[in-house]
Amino acid sequence: MSRLIRQGFLGENSDAVLAGLTVGFIGLGGGGSHMVQQAAHLGVGGYVLVDPDEIDLGNSNRLVSGTLADVTEKVAKVAIAERTIRSLQPRARVLTLKRTWQESTEDLKGCDVIMGAVDSVVARDQIEAFCRRFLIPYIDVGMDVVTLGKGAFLISGQVIASMPGEPCMRCCGFVTDEKLQEEAKLYGDAGGRPQVVWPNGVLASTAIGLMVQTFTPWHQRGTGFAHLVYDGNKGTVAPSPWVKQLAGMICPHHPEDQVGDPSFDVRRVLAERGEPERAVPVAEARHVDCDVALRPRVSRLWAWLRYLFGL
Amino acid sequence: MNLRFKIRADLLDRVRIDLRRRHRFAHERVGFITAGLCTFAGGVLAIARDYRPVDDDDYVDTPGVGAMMAPDAIRKAQERALFARDAIFHVHTHGGRGVPAFSGVDLRENVKFVPDFLKVAPHALHGAIVLSNDAALGQCWLTRGDAAVPLRDFTVVGPATTKWGRA
Repeated sequence: MSRLIRQGFLGENSDAVLAGLTVGFIGLGGGGSHMVQQAAHLGVGGYVLVDPDEIDLGNSNRLVSGTLADVTEKVAKVAIAERTIRSLQPRARVLTLKRTWQESTEDLKGCDVIMGAVDSVVARDQIEAFCRRFLIPYIDVGMDVVTLGKGAFLISGQVIASMPGEPCMRCCGFVTDEKLQEEAKLYGDAGGRPQVVWPNGVLASTAIGLMVQTFTPWHQRGTGFAHLVYDGNKGTVAPSPWVKQLAGMICPHHPEDQVGDPSFDVRRVLAERGEPERAVPVAEARHVDCDVALRPRVSRLWAWLRYLFGL
Repeated sequence: MNLRFKIRADLLDRVRIDLRRRHRFAHERVGFITAGLCTFAGGVLAIARDYRPVDDDDYVDTPGVGAMMAPDAIRKAQERALFARDAIFHVHTHGGRGVPAFSGVDLRENVKFVPDFLKVAPHALHGAIVLSNDAALGQCWLTRGDAAVPLRDFTVVGPATTKWGRA
Protein backbone atom coordinates (compact mmCIF):
# COMPACT_ATOMS: atom_id res chain seq x y z
CA MET A 1 0.00 0.00 0.00
CA SER A 2 1.26 3.48 -0.82
CA ARG A 3 1.72 5.64 2.22
CA LEU A 4 0.10 8.43 0.17
CA ILE A 5 -3.12 6.51 -0.46
CA ARG A 6 -5.22 8.90 1.60
CA GLN A 7 -4.33 11.89 -0.58
CA GLY A 8 -5.52 10.40 -3.86
CA PHE A 9 -8.13 13.15 -4.18
CA LEU A 10 -5.28 15.46 -5.20
CA GLY A 11 -5.38 13.83 -8.62
CA GLU A 12 -4.63 10.62 -10.43
CA ASN A 13 -0.98 11.59 -10.99
CA SER A 14 -0.51 13.62 -7.83
CA ASP A 15 2.06 11.23 -6.34
CA ALA A 16 4.21 11.51 -9.46
CA VAL A 17 3.73 15.27 -9.72
CA LEU A 18 4.77 15.80 -6.10
CA ALA A 19 7.68 13.38 -6.45
CA GLY A 20 8.85 15.28 -9.53
CA LEU A 21 8.84 18.68 -7.83
CA THR A 22 11.92 20.42 -6.55
CA VAL A 23 11.01 22.89 -3.82
CA GLY A 24 13.36 25.53 -2.46
CA PHE A 25 13.08 26.39 1.22
CA ILE A 26 14.73 29.62 2.33
CA GLY A 27 14.88 29.85 6.11
CA LEU A 28 14.50 26.67 8.14
CA GLY A 29 13.62 28.05 11.53
CA GLY A 30 10.14 28.33 13.03
CA GLY A 31 8.23 28.60 9.74
CA GLY A 32 10.50 26.70 7.36
CA SER A 33 10.85 23.62 9.57
CA HIS A 34 7.07 23.20 9.60
CA MET A 35 6.86 23.55 5.83
CA VAL A 36 9.64 21.03 5.17
CA GLN A 37 8.01 18.52 7.47
CA GLN A 38 4.69 18.81 5.65
CA ALA A 39 6.32 18.63 2.23
CA ALA A 40 8.05 15.40 3.26
CA HIS A 41 4.76 13.93 4.52
CA LEU A 42 3.17 14.84 1.18
CA GLY A 43 5.86 13.06 -0.82
CA VAL A 44 7.60 16.03 -2.41
CA GLY A 45 10.64 14.50 -4.11
CA GLY A 46 13.21 17.30 -4.37
CA TYR A 47 14.48 19.84 -1.83
CA VAL A 48 16.92 22.72 -1.92
CA LEU A 49 17.38 23.68 1.74
CA VAL A 50 18.98 27.06 2.42
CA ASP A 51 19.83 28.49 5.85
CA PRO A 52 23.21 29.65 7.15
CA ASP A 53 22.43 29.09 10.84
CA GLU A 54 22.70 26.38 13.45
CA ILE A 55 19.98 25.71 15.97
CA ASP A 56 20.37 27.47 19.33
CA LEU A 57 18.51 27.14 22.59
CA GLY A 58 16.24 30.06 21.74
CA ASN A 59 15.05 28.24 18.59
CA SER A 60 13.95 25.15 20.48
CA ASN A 61 10.54 26.63 21.35
CA ARG A 62 9.46 26.41 17.73
CA LEU A 63 11.88 24.67 15.36
CA VAL A 64 9.98 21.51 14.54
CA SER A 65 12.10 18.33 14.79
CA GLY A 66 14.92 20.21 16.54
CA THR A 67 16.03 18.61 19.81
CA LEU A 68 18.05 19.70 22.81
CA ALA A 69 20.77 17.31 21.62
CA ASP A 70 20.87 19.27 18.37
CA VAL A 71 21.30 22.47 20.39
CA THR A 72 24.21 20.93 22.31
CA GLU A 73 25.85 19.79 19.08
CA LYS A 74 25.06 23.03 17.25
CA VAL A 75 23.50 21.14 14.36
CA ALA A 76 22.84 23.14 11.21
CA LYS A 77 19.16 23.90 10.60
CA VAL A 78 19.48 22.48 7.09
CA ALA A 79 20.77 19.21 8.56
CA ILE A 80 17.78 18.97 10.90
CA ALA A 81 15.47 19.56 7.94
CA GLU A 82 17.24 16.88 5.91
CA ARG A 83 16.89 14.41 8.78
CA THR A 84 13.14 15.12 8.91
CA ILE A 85 12.83 14.56 5.17
CA ARG A 86 14.87 11.36 5.16
CA SER A 87 12.76 9.89 7.95
CA LEU A 88 9.79 10.00 5.56
CA GLN A 89 11.39 10.10 2.11
CA PRO A 90 14.64 8.10 2.30
CA ARG A 91 15.30 8.53 -1.43
CA ALA A 92 14.43 12.20 -1.70
CA ARG A 93 16.72 14.48 -3.70
CA VAL A 94 18.01 16.77 -0.95
CA LEU A 95 20.54 19.54 -1.37
CA THR A 96 21.55 21.20 1.91
CA LEU A 97 23.14 24.63 1.60
CA LYS A 98 24.36 26.07 4.91
CA ARG A 99 24.74 29.55 3.54
CA THR A 100 22.69 32.58 2.58
CA TRP A 101 20.16 32.45 -0.21
CA GLN A 102 22.20 35.01 -2.14
CA GLU A 103 25.01 32.44 -2.23
CA SER A 104 22.61 29.72 -3.39
CA THR A 105 21.01 31.27 -6.44
CA GLU A 106 22.30 28.78 -9.02
CA ASP A 107 20.58 25.96 -7.14
CA LEU A 108 17.46 27.97 -6.36
CA LYS A 109 16.96 28.91 -10.03
CA GLY A 110 16.17 25.29 -10.82
CA CYS A 111 13.37 25.04 -8.25
CA ASP A 112 9.75 24.69 -9.27
CA VAL A 113 8.59 26.82 -6.33
CA ILE A 114 10.31 28.59 -3.46
CA MET A 115 8.91 28.70 0.06
CA GLY A 116 10.28 31.58 2.13
CA ALA A 117 10.31 31.96 5.90
CA VAL A 118 12.71 34.83 6.43
CA ASP A 119 12.88 37.54 9.06
CA SER A 120 13.07 40.79 7.14
CA VAL A 121 11.01 42.75 4.65
CA VAL A 122 14.09 43.50 2.58
CA ALA A 123 14.84 39.77 2.22
CA ARG A 124 11.25 39.13 1.10
CA ASP A 125 11.49 41.95 -1.42
CA GLN A 126 14.75 40.62 -2.85
CA ILE A 127 13.65 36.98 -2.96
CA GLU A 128 10.43 37.94 -4.72
CA ALA A 129 12.38 39.94 -7.33
CA PHE A 130 14.69 36.96 -7.84
CA CYS A 131 11.73 34.62 -8.28
CA ARG A 132 10.02 36.93 -10.78
CA ARG A 133 13.18 37.16 -12.87
CA PHE A 134 13.41 33.37 -13.11
CA LEU A 135 9.67 32.67 -13.31
CA ILE A 136 9.39 30.83 -10.00
CA PRO A 137 6.26 30.97 -7.85
CA TYR A 138 7.17 32.33 -4.41
CA ILE A 139 5.17 31.56 -1.26
CA ASP A 140 6.12 33.57 1.79
CA VAL A 141 5.15 33.18 5.44
CA GLY A 142 5.85 35.46 8.36
CA MET A 143 4.52 36.17 11.83
CA ASP A 144 4.85 38.95 14.34
CA VAL A 145 3.78 39.80 17.86
CA VAL A 146 3.00 43.40 18.73
CA THR A 147 2.08 44.89 22.06
CA LEU A 148 -1.40 46.31 22.52
CA GLY A 149 -0.51 47.87 25.88
CA LYS A 150 -1.65 46.89 29.37
CA GLY A 151 0.02 43.49 29.07
CA ALA A 152 -1.92 42.48 25.95
CA PHE A 153 -0.39 41.34 22.66
CA LEU A 154 -1.58 40.74 19.11
CA ILE A 155 -0.24 37.77 17.20
CA SER A 156 -0.40 38.42 13.49
CA GLY A 157 1.05 36.99 10.32
CA GLN A 158 0.64 36.56 6.61
CA VAL A 159 0.95 34.07 3.80
CA ILE A 160 1.56 35.55 0.37
CA ALA A 161 1.62 33.58 -2.86
CA SER A 162 3.46 35.70 -5.41
CA MET A 163 2.92 34.24 -8.85
CA PRO A 164 4.72 35.45 -11.99
CA GLY A 165 2.51 37.73 -14.07
CA GLU A 166 0.29 38.62 -11.11
CA PRO A 167 0.38 41.31 -8.40
CA CYS A 168 3.38 41.29 -6.09
CA MET A 169 4.13 42.11 -2.46
CA ARG A 170 4.60 45.75 -3.41
CA CYS A 171 1.31 45.83 -5.30
CA CYS A 172 -0.55 44.66 -2.19
CA GLY A 173 1.24 47.08 0.09
CA PHE A 174 3.06 44.46 2.11
CA VAL A 175 6.46 45.72 0.95
CA THR A 176 6.79 49.50 0.99
CA ASP A 177 9.74 51.86 0.84
CA GLU A 178 8.75 53.13 4.29
CA LYS A 179 8.96 49.64 5.78
CA LEU A 180 12.33 49.08 4.12
CA GLN A 181 13.66 52.38 5.45
CA GLU A 182 12.32 51.64 8.92
CA GLU A 183 13.97 48.24 8.87
CA ALA A 184 17.26 49.74 7.72
CA LYS A 185 17.21 52.19 10.63
CA LEU A 186 16.69 49.37 13.11
CA TYR A 187 19.34 47.16 11.55
CA GLY A 188 21.39 45.45 14.26
CA ASP A 189 19.26 46.97 16.97
CA ALA A 190 15.99 45.10 16.70
CA GLY A 191 16.93 42.08 18.79
CA GLY A 192 14.98 38.83 18.43
CA ARG A 193 11.32 39.33 17.64
CA PRO A 194 8.88 37.28 19.69
CA GLN A 195 8.12 33.93 18.02
CA VAL A 196 6.02 30.96 19.09
CA VAL A 197 5.32 27.60 17.54
CA TRP A 198 1.59 27.52 16.86
CA PRO A 199 1.16 30.57 14.59
CA ASN A 200 4.07 29.27 12.52
CA GLY A 201 2.20 25.99 12.23
CA VAL A 202 -0.97 27.71 11.00
CA LEU A 203 0.93 29.84 8.50
CA ALA A 204 3.12 26.98 7.25
CA SER A 205 0.09 24.71 6.77
CA THR A 206 -1.69 27.43 4.82
CA ALA A 207 1.38 27.98 2.65
CA ILE A 208 1.77 24.28 1.91
CA GLY A 209 -1.90 24.16 0.95
CA LEU A 210 -1.29 26.93 -1.59
CA MET A 211 1.75 25.08 -2.94
CA VAL A 212 -0.20 21.85 -3.39
CA GLN A 213 -3.07 23.70 -5.05
CA THR A 214 -0.58 25.21 -7.50
CA PHE A 215 0.74 21.85 -8.70
CA THR A 216 -1.95 19.25 -7.94
CA PRO A 217 -5.13 21.29 -7.61
CA TRP A 218 -8.03 19.70 -5.78
CA HIS A 219 -10.52 22.37 -6.79
CA GLN A 220 -11.09 24.47 -9.88
CA ARG A 221 -9.78 27.77 -8.68
CA GLY A 222 -6.03 27.93 -9.14
CA THR A 223 -3.75 29.56 -6.62
CA GLY A 224 -2.96 32.81 -8.39
CA PHE A 225 -1.95 35.73 -6.24
CA ALA A 226 -2.91 35.24 -2.59
CA HIS A 227 -2.44 37.45 0.44
CA LEU A 228 -3.88 35.79 3.51
CA VAL A 229 -3.81 37.59 6.82
CA TYR A 230 -3.59 35.71 10.11
CA ASP A 231 -5.11 37.14 13.27
CA GLY A 232 -3.85 34.95 16.07
CA ASN A 233 -6.08 36.62 18.65
CA LYS A 234 -9.25 35.87 16.72
CA GLY A 235 -7.92 32.62 15.31
CA THR A 236 -8.69 33.54 11.71
CA VAL A 237 -6.93 33.42 8.36
CA ALA A 238 -8.67 35.64 5.79
CA PRO A 239 -7.87 37.20 2.41
CA SER A 240 -6.48 40.70 2.66
CA PRO A 241 -9.03 43.34 1.57
CA TRP A 242 -6.46 44.38 -1.03
CA VAL A 243 -6.84 41.18 -3.01
CA LYS A 244 -10.16 42.05 -4.69
CA GLN A 245 -8.90 45.50 -5.64
CA LEU A 246 -5.87 43.96 -7.34
CA ALA A 247 -7.86 41.55 -9.52
CA GLY A 248 -6.69 41.79 -13.12
CA MET A 249 -3.90 44.22 -12.26
CA ILE A 250 -0.66 43.99 -14.21
CA CYS A 251 2.26 44.31 -11.83
CA PRO A 252 4.32 47.41 -12.66
CA HIS A 253 7.18 46.40 -10.37
CA HIS A 254 8.31 43.27 -12.20
CA PRO A 255 7.80 43.73 -15.97
CA GLU A 256 6.96 40.44 -17.62
CA ASP A 257 9.67 40.74 -20.23
CA GLN A 258 12.44 41.24 -17.68
CA VAL A 259 13.22 37.59 -17.19
CA GLY A 260 16.47 35.72 -17.50
CA ASP A 261 20.01 36.90 -16.99
CA PRO A 262 20.86 39.91 -19.21
CA SER A 263 24.55 38.99 -19.16
CA PHE A 264 24.01 35.39 -20.27
CA ASP A 265 26.35 34.21 -23.01
CA VAL A 266 26.12 30.63 -24.22
CA ARG A 267 29.71 30.76 -25.52
CA ARG A 268 30.94 31.45 -22.00
CA VAL A 269 28.79 28.64 -20.62
CA LEU A 270 30.23 26.16 -23.11
CA ALA A 271 33.78 27.37 -22.48
CA GLU A 272 33.34 27.02 -18.71
CA ARG A 273 32.19 23.47 -19.18
CA GLY A 274 35.44 22.87 -21.03
CA GLU A 275 33.95 21.02 -23.94
CA PRO A 276 32.14 21.91 -27.08
CA GLU A 277 28.54 20.90 -26.76
CA ARG A 278 28.15 17.49 -28.31
CA ALA A 279 24.57 17.50 -29.34
CA VAL A 280 22.13 14.65 -29.59
CA PRO A 281 21.40 14.07 -33.27
CA VAL A 282 17.95 15.31 -34.15
CA ALA A 283 16.61 11.91 -35.12
CA GLU A 284 17.70 10.54 -31.79
CA ALA A 285 16.38 13.56 -29.94
CA ARG A 286 12.90 12.78 -31.14
CA HIS A 287 12.99 9.42 -29.46
CA VAL A 288 14.71 10.19 -26.19
CA ASP A 289 11.41 9.98 -24.38
CA CYS A 290 10.81 6.38 -25.43
CA ASP A 291 10.13 4.18 -22.47
CA VAL A 292 13.43 2.60 -21.51
CA ALA A 293 11.54 -0.51 -20.46
CA LEU A 294 10.61 -1.12 -24.12
CA ARG A 295 14.20 -1.48 -25.27
CA PRO A 296 14.73 -5.12 -24.12
CA ARG A 297 11.46 -6.09 -25.79
CA VAL A 298 12.53 -4.46 -29.04
CA SER A 299 15.86 -6.32 -28.83
CA ARG A 300 14.07 -9.64 -28.29
CA LEU A 301 11.68 -8.96 -31.18
CA TRP A 302 14.62 -8.11 -33.46
CA ALA A 303 16.47 -11.30 -32.43
CA TRP A 304 13.33 -13.35 -33.13
CA LEU A 305 12.90 -11.78 -36.59
CA ARG A 306 16.54 -12.52 -37.41
CA TYR A 307 16.03 -16.13 -36.33
CA LEU A 308 12.77 -16.42 -38.32
CA PHE A 309 14.27 -15.08 -41.53
CA GLY A 310 17.68 -16.63 -41.06
CA LEU A 311 19.46 -13.28 -40.99
CA MET B 1 23.46 19.86 -21.20
CA ASN B 2 20.12 20.02 -19.45
CA LEU B 3 18.00 22.60 -21.28
CA ARG B 4 14.70 23.63 -19.75
CA PHE B 5 11.97 25.94 -21.02
CA LYS B 6 9.56 27.96 -18.89
CA ILE B 7 6.60 30.03 -20.00
CA ARG B 8 3.77 31.85 -18.23
CA ALA B 9 0.41 30.17 -18.70
CA ASP B 10 -1.23 33.36 -19.98
CA LEU B 11 1.50 33.82 -22.59
CA LEU B 12 1.18 30.22 -23.76
CA ASP B 13 -2.59 30.71 -24.04
CA ARG B 14 -1.93 33.75 -26.22
CA VAL B 15 0.37 31.68 -28.45
CA ARG B 16 -2.15 28.89 -28.86
CA ILE B 17 -4.99 31.30 -29.65
CA ASP B 18 -2.89 33.08 -32.26
CA LEU B 19 -1.75 29.87 -33.92
CA ARG B 20 -5.38 28.76 -34.31
CA ARG B 21 -6.28 31.80 -36.44
CA ARG B 22 -6.93 31.00 -40.07
CA HIS B 23 -4.68 32.41 -42.76
CA ARG B 24 -5.95 33.17 -46.23
CA PHE B 25 -3.83 30.47 -47.85
CA ALA B 26 -1.43 28.93 -45.35
CA HIS B 27 -2.76 25.78 -43.70
CA GLU B 28 -1.25 26.66 -40.35
CA ARG B 29 0.27 29.61 -38.58
CA VAL B 30 3.74 29.99 -37.13
CA GLY B 31 5.37 32.51 -34.83
CA PHE B 32 8.32 33.22 -32.62
CA ILE B 33 8.61 33.05 -28.84
CA THR B 34 11.30 35.35 -27.50
CA ALA B 35 13.08 34.29 -24.33
CA GLY B 36 15.61 35.29 -21.74
CA LEU B 37 18.27 32.81 -20.69
CA CYS B 38 20.14 31.94 -17.53
CA THR B 39 22.25 29.20 -16.13
CA PHE B 40 21.13 27.09 -13.20
CA ALA B 41 22.92 24.34 -11.33
CA GLY B 42 21.75 21.70 -13.75
CA GLY B 43 22.09 23.50 -17.07
CA VAL B 44 20.45 26.35 -18.97
CA LEU B 45 16.98 27.73 -18.57
CA ALA B 46 15.09 29.54 -21.33
CA ILE B 47 12.32 31.78 -19.96
CA ALA B 48 9.72 33.03 -22.42
CA ARG B 49 9.35 36.80 -22.60
CA ASP B 50 6.94 37.46 -25.41
CA TYR B 51 5.33 36.09 -28.55
CA ARG B 52 5.62 37.55 -32.05
CA PRO B 53 3.27 36.14 -34.67
CA VAL B 54 4.47 36.03 -38.24
CA ASP B 55 2.69 38.78 -40.15
CA ASP B 56 -0.01 37.70 -42.60
CA ASP B 57 1.98 39.07 -45.54
CA ASP B 58 5.09 37.15 -44.52
CA TYR B 59 3.76 33.75 -45.60
CA VAL B 60 4.66 32.25 -48.95
CA ASP B 61 2.07 30.19 -50.79
CA THR B 62 3.92 26.87 -51.07
CA PRO B 63 2.15 23.60 -51.89
CA GLY B 64 3.14 20.62 -49.80
CA VAL B 65 3.86 22.40 -46.53
CA GLY B 66 1.53 23.76 -43.87
CA ALA B 67 3.19 27.16 -43.77
CA MET B 68 6.26 28.66 -45.39
CA MET B 69 7.74 31.91 -44.06
CA ALA B 70 9.04 34.62 -46.32
CA PRO B 71 12.60 35.82 -45.70
CA ASP B 72 11.20 39.00 -44.14
CA ALA B 73 9.64 37.00 -41.29
CA ILE B 74 13.00 35.52 -40.43
CA ARG B 75 14.75 38.87 -40.81
CA LYS B 76 12.36 40.51 -38.33
CA ALA B 77 12.96 37.77 -35.81
CA GLN B 78 16.72 38.05 -36.32
CA GLU B 79 16.51 41.78 -35.65
CA ARG B 80 14.75 41.01 -32.41
CA ALA B 81 17.50 38.57 -31.45
CA LEU B 82 20.17 41.13 -32.30
CA PHE B 83 18.74 44.27 -30.72
CA ALA B 84 16.83 42.87 -27.74
CA ARG B 85 19.38 40.11 -27.09
CA ASP B 86 16.52 37.62 -27.04
CA ALA B 87 16.72 33.91 -27.62
CA ILE B 88 14.35 33.04 -30.46
CA PHE B 89 12.15 29.94 -30.61
CA HIS B 90 10.15 29.26 -33.73
CA VAL B 91 6.78 27.83 -32.73
CA HIS B 92 3.87 26.09 -34.41
CA THR B 93 1.26 23.60 -33.29
CA HIS B 94 0.20 20.13 -34.36
CA GLY B 95 -2.86 20.14 -32.10
CA GLY B 96 -3.98 16.90 -30.49
CA ARG B 97 -2.96 15.56 -27.08
CA GLY B 98 0.25 14.31 -25.58
CA VAL B 99 3.87 15.11 -26.37
CA PRO B 100 4.04 15.95 -30.09
CA ALA B 101 6.87 15.21 -32.51
CA PHE B 102 8.44 17.29 -35.23
CA SER B 103 7.51 16.14 -38.74
CA GLY B 104 10.17 15.36 -41.30
CA VAL B 105 9.49 18.72 -42.95
CA ASP B 106 9.84 20.48 -39.58
CA LEU B 107 13.20 18.84 -38.94
CA ARG B 108 14.45 19.62 -42.43
CA GLU B 109 13.38 23.27 -42.30
CA ASN B 110 14.44 23.91 -38.69
CA VAL B 111 18.00 22.93 -39.41
CA LYS B 112 18.01 25.23 -42.44
CA PHE B 113 17.12 28.46 -40.68
CA VAL B 114 17.27 28.23 -36.86
CA PRO B 115 21.08 27.95 -36.58
CA ASP B 116 21.31 31.14 -38.64
CA PHE B 117 20.04 33.08 -35.62
CA LEU B 118 23.43 32.35 -34.10
CA LYS B 119 24.99 34.50 -36.83
CA VAL B 120 23.30 37.60 -35.47
CA ALA B 121 22.97 36.64 -31.79
CA PRO B 122 25.71 34.15 -30.97
CA HIS B 123 25.46 34.89 -27.23
CA ALA B 124 22.11 33.10 -27.06
CA LEU B 125 20.77 29.73 -28.00
CA HIS B 126 17.87 29.49 -30.42
CA GLY B 127 15.43 26.76 -31.23
CA ALA B 128 12.10 25.47 -32.41
CA ILE B 129 9.08 24.26 -30.49
CA VAL B 130 6.11 22.23 -31.62
CA LEU B 131 3.01 22.36 -29.45
CA SER B 132 0.13 20.01 -28.97
CA ASN B 133 -2.96 21.14 -27.09
CA ASP B 134 -1.48 20.05 -23.78
CA ALA B 135 2.25 19.51 -24.25
CA ALA B 136 5.29 20.51 -26.30
CA LEU B 137 8.57 19.32 -27.74
CA GLY B 138 11.58 21.44 -28.55
CA GLN B 139 15.07 21.44 -29.95
CA CYS B 140 17.70 24.14 -29.95
CA TRP B 141 21.11 25.03 -31.24
CA LEU B 142 23.94 26.24 -29.05
CA THR B 143 26.53 26.43 -31.79
CA ARG B 144 26.14 26.58 -35.55
CA GLY B 145 28.30 23.57 -36.22
CA ASP B 146 26.50 21.05 -34.07
CA ALA B 147 23.22 19.23 -34.25
CA ALA B 148 20.18 20.23 -32.24
CA VAL B 149 19.94 19.59 -28.53
CA PRO B 150 16.52 18.56 -27.20
CA LEU B 151 14.73 20.69 -24.63
CA ARG B 152 14.49 18.41 -21.65
CA ASP B 153 11.39 19.76 -20.01
CA PHE B 154 8.74 22.43 -20.22
CA THR B 155 7.15 24.21 -17.30
CA VAL B 156 3.99 26.27 -17.70
CA VAL B 157 3.82 28.65 -14.74
CA GLY B 158 0.42 29.86 -13.69
CA PRO B 159 -2.38 29.35 -11.21
CA ALA B 160 -2.15 25.64 -12.04
CA THR B 161 1.51 25.07 -12.82
CA THR B 162 2.35 22.07 -14.99
CA LYS B 163 5.59 20.44 -16.00
CA TRP B 164 6.23 17.83 -18.62
CA GLY B 165 9.14 16.42 -20.52
CA ARG B 166 11.94 13.97 -20.18
CA ALA B 167 13.09 14.85 -16.65
